[in-house]
Amino acid sequence: MSFSLNEVEATAKRATRGAGYAWGIAEEAGKATRWLCAQGLNGPAELAKLLGLGFAGSLDQHMPKDLTGEWAGEQDLCPLTCGAALSDYAEMWRAGPLRLQHVAVPLLLLPFVANAVKRQNGVATITLDGINAVTDGAQLSCPDVDMSRVDSVIVAMGGTLETKKPRQTRATPDPASWDVLTNFAFRTYAPATEQSRLLGAGAGLSDND
Amino acid sequence: MTEPRPHIKRRDPAMVMRLSRLGSLHQCRLSFMRQLTRRMAQEEWVFSRPKFEINDKGVGYAVYAAQSPSHAYSLVAFAHDLPPEQRSDRVIAEAWDATFALFDGIPSDDDIERLSQNVPLQEAGRVSESELSLSRANRSVRLWAHVVDRLAAGQQPDLDQIHKVGYLMRTTAVYGSGKFGAADREKIADRAEVNSPFQAEMLSVYLTRTFVRDLVQHMAQVKGGDATAKLDPDIARWLGIGNSTGLGMAPFIVNHPILFNNWIMVREEAISRVRSIETASAEEESEFRNIFKRSKLSMSWWRSEHPVQIEKLAALNADLTSISTYLDQEELQNNYPWDRLVRWSEATLSQEGQELIASLILEPYGDLVDGLSSCMADNNSDAHVINGAMPVAEVRSLFEQSFGWAMDLDWTAPENCARAWYVSEEKLEPRLGERFNEPIAEYEQPLAPARDTVRAHKALAGWNGNAPIAEFLLRHPEHRHAVRRAQMATVAPYGEIHDNTISAVVLPIDMLRAKLSFFGATHFDPRSDRWVRICMYSGAPYPEDLTNENADLWVYPEVQQ
Repeated sequence: MSFSLNEVEATAKRATRGAGYAWGIAEEAGKATRWLCAQGLNGPAELAKLLGLGFAGSLDQHMPKDLTGEWAGEQDLCPLTCGAALSDYAEMWRAGPLRLQHVAVPLLLLPFVANAVKRQNGVATITLDGINAVTDGAQLSCPDVDMSRVDSVIVAMGGTLETKKPRQTRATPDPASWDVLTNFAFRTYAPATEQSRLLGAGAGLSDND
Repeated sequence: MTEPRPHIKRRDPAMVMRLSRLGSLHQCRLSFMRQLTRRMAQEEWVFSRPKFEINDKGVGYAVYAAQSPSHAYSLVAFAHDLPPEQRSDRVIAEAWDATFALFDGIPSDDDIERLSQNVPLQEAGRVSESELSLSRANRSVRLWAHVVDRLAAGQQPDLDQIHKVGYLMRTTAVYGSGKFGAADREKIADRAEVNSPFQAEMLSVYLTRTFVRDLVQHMAQVKGGDATAKLDPDIARWLGIGNSTGLGMAPFIVNHPILFNNWIMVREEAISRVRSIETASAEEESEFRNIFKRSKLSMSWWRSEHPVQIEKLAALNADLTSISTYLDQEELQNNYPWDRLVRWSEATLSQEGQELIASLILEPYGDLVDGLSSCMADNNSDAHVINGAMPVAEVRSLFEQSFGWAMDLDWTAPENCARAWYVSEEKLEPRLGERFNEPIAEYEQPLAPARDTVRAHKALAGWNGNAPIAEFLLRHPEHRHAVRRAQMATVAPYGEIHDNTISAVVLPIDMLRAKLSFFGATHFDPRSDRWVRICMYSGAPYPEDLTNENADLWVYPEVQQ
């Protein structure tokens, strides 16, 4: 099925919240998934892979212990949390390459690096176990890869956008991944009760007047 | 040499962004409906009705096309035979009297066939990138029957009844921007004619009004045959389109702080420009006086049975009397006439009256005001990106600027956090519940920026003021959304409501009215504290009558001499 990018963003945001992440991270996940879809990548599949790992309950173990030097956590790093930090604070990797060890679903890092380079009109290269992705914020050059995790990520300024992926205005995620997201999203909805139906929203009046 | 003209500053967000004031806003010449009708007249849009396939039961479809200089847009309308027991204005309804999509271009027969399988289902169907909006409407049962019966009997409907209700159909939702598979706003955002907010949705409602007029004539014809009267255009003009709006709109203004800021800031800039005029011409004074008279007539048709609005209308009517007295005594040409009037209103009138004056003084000054409408869209797609290099001390100070008023509030007191915004499983309807009486807290949406900012401010207490906020955010992702909003406020000073959106006494209708006033709505009629009916396009010329002369001031009825 063809979805608008707004639908992708809204569903990804709710799903991420439903999986237990903070609202602020869920907002990032919505934008990131939308960006991947705009580049023609299957953003919902990447996010579904990550949410299935259940990192949100023990996020401390999936965050870098220290932001100086190489980033490493007790377990595989969460790309949403690390991505947000990369986007927030490009100063950390603008001066020289930054290495991250053991990252889950690493394509989710790309939109965050894109945020940062777009702000400074630059280009950045993200090397995932030796495979290069290059972005100037708006566009992406990246081979088709299927990565659940990588041992090493290097983020560095510079690079050449060679074969830019054509921009997309719609997304056609695979139904299985979309179902994963909508199931997580469902956890953010309160079960309807008669009380909420009457008091929570409408006037409770007939429209026959 | 003349003295430099003093520039009256924009009003302070701390004043403008209080909920009671936002809940007293009135339409003005920046309203989205008026922007659209002015543009359609100026650019000489061409309108047509390529299809009208409605049977004797009132079931079928019709297509209404609007051709701008660069694009065509078509309303595809489906008319249904709805049993009365299914007529509900709630989002959770599942059937309607009529359903609509705004098609980008001219639909083929295949498009119409595809839409006929989906549009009548509304949320349960799917539309495509070719559709810009999806909507539905129900009849006002009483007025519909009255108009059909009168016309069928060869008579005209009673104008008093039309003024009393205002519309033959009211929409219960108009979905745009990528909802249910429709095109994202990005598809049309670079077209000047629909770049301003909600222009596609406003066009859809404008064409819906024409369809409804044609449909009621058709149904009268079926009933009355040759004896049927043709609806008098002077009466038809007063038929608007109603709109029932519930809570879904309230989160919108919290979730889009940059967009909402742009609306408010543009209006404030317009007010400031007009207040800064030292002398007005006789024509400008007379135009204002004339518009005020016409506005008073429109207000006299405004009815509500809701206690809050009854009280506000009583205050507004007293304000109208005071304004009339002021205008009898004061001239409006010299010594900063508009600033004088605004200052007088602030000292004398209720907020309803103050905001009416603030809107009305813009009327004589299209040249100063109308150009600002191009600044009302949100074209700042990167505003959500957090600047993590900002020092903690600066973020702290942003928190205090935006929400200083909230810092000393006791956020644990039940009356200050009595409510929680949540989304129900039922059709994903947004609702507002009682935190301490219902099991909803764990589903709470982030729609209490004041509380969340105070929490984030507290959490920052032990942090070194020189540290980059990125370090704090990595350890405290739960405060990320509050930091984002605080940074957005640096470019959006009017983006935050200066009131508690989860208080025991919050009135969501104030948030609804703020948004609807920018659409250009009039005659707000709350049906509860979270549900309001309004009227759109009442008085507006129909497409075949639209000219530069009548494209703008139709919102003010002419006073019979």
